Amino acid sequence: MRNFRKVCRTLHRELGFLAVGLTLVYAISGIAVNHAHHWDANYERTLVERSIEPPGTGPTLEVQPVVLERLGVTVPVKGVWRASTEVLQVFVEGGQYDVNLATGAVGEHGFAKRPLFFDVNFMHLNSGKAPWTGIADAYAGILLVLAMTGPWLINGRKGLKGRGGVMMGLGIALPVVYAVITRLQL
Amino acid sequence: MRTVSVLLVSAFVLALAGGALAGEKTYGKGVTGAETVLVSELLAKPDAFIGKTLRVKGMAVGVCAHRGCWINVAGDKEGEVVRVQVPDGVIVFPPEIVGDEVIAEGVWTANELTLEQTKAVCAAEARKHGDENYDPDAVTTCKTLYALAGTGAVATTK
Repeated sequence: MRNFRKVCRTLHRELGFLAVGLTLVYAISGIAVNHAHHWDANYERTLVERSIEPPGTGPTLEVQPVVLERLGVTVPVKGVWRASTEVLQVFVEGGQYDVNLATGAVGEHGFAKRPLFFDVNFMHLNSGKAPWTGIADAYAGILLVLAMTGPWLINGRKGLKGRGGVMMGLGIALPVVYAVITRLQL
Repeated sequence: MRTVSVLLVSAFVLALAGGALAGEKTYGKGVTGAETVLVSELLAKPDAFIGKTLRVKGMAVGVCAHRGCWINVAGDKEGEVVRVQVPDGVIVFPPEIVGDEVIAEGVWTANELTLEQTKAVCAAEARKHGDENYDPDAVTTCKTLYALAGTGAVATTK
């Protein structure tokens, strides 16, 4: 038993250090994406409304250069789309302009990746697939080892037979009770 | 041990860099070889293509701001777009895709709305376009929403 405890302690310590970075990634992103209905966890979005001299609703080939000149776009244009008779959309890196050709009203939409959050969410949601799938699987394996070795670290009153056991029971009961309630409601 | 660590870190960095340096972006299963159909053809006879696997090609002119679960692909005629709808979380289109040339593949589907659903869709469109005169009672016929149930796409930035 002493040897078993020693192995558990070594595994828990070494893998625990290894898991710090990834745990922070998954914890921060977990909170961020849990509240995806409250905010855009990946992008900051902006809208600036302004106006230009109305270019008129003539043929696209005629109004397009006029619009680009009046907008004063300084970044490369990715594409231009005549969404309707009155609306011309200009797509650029990091945003788009929605131009009302009849009134000259311009909606300048911008977006930018949120520092840190975009990256941790990308990892958490495994948006890039391989090679992150392997890393995430390995991390899940590490968490399993941490969970299985943790209860055996301490003996006695604060261990599995005492307070530690009660805490562990609570931690297991929480998802089990939730799962049962959910099943009953479905 | 030190050599092994250096090799592991190098392999990891190279693998990540390889993915990041790719020129065009592939979403989902990408595109295989289905027939390419002009958006104008699809919109002219939408019922003729229901259930068929096909491709559409054009500029991405709209994207789902919430979860990246759809894009609008511009057609060969001004003002015409088709929606490419993808399963939530399985394929995620980023905002950067707007303005890119996209080839999307999937199954052409029709979703027949009830009158209540049609009114809700029309109300949402009216709100989006700032139409304050929208009258739900003026909507008397049910709408069918057509979309490409996307399985994959390839986007190229100009």
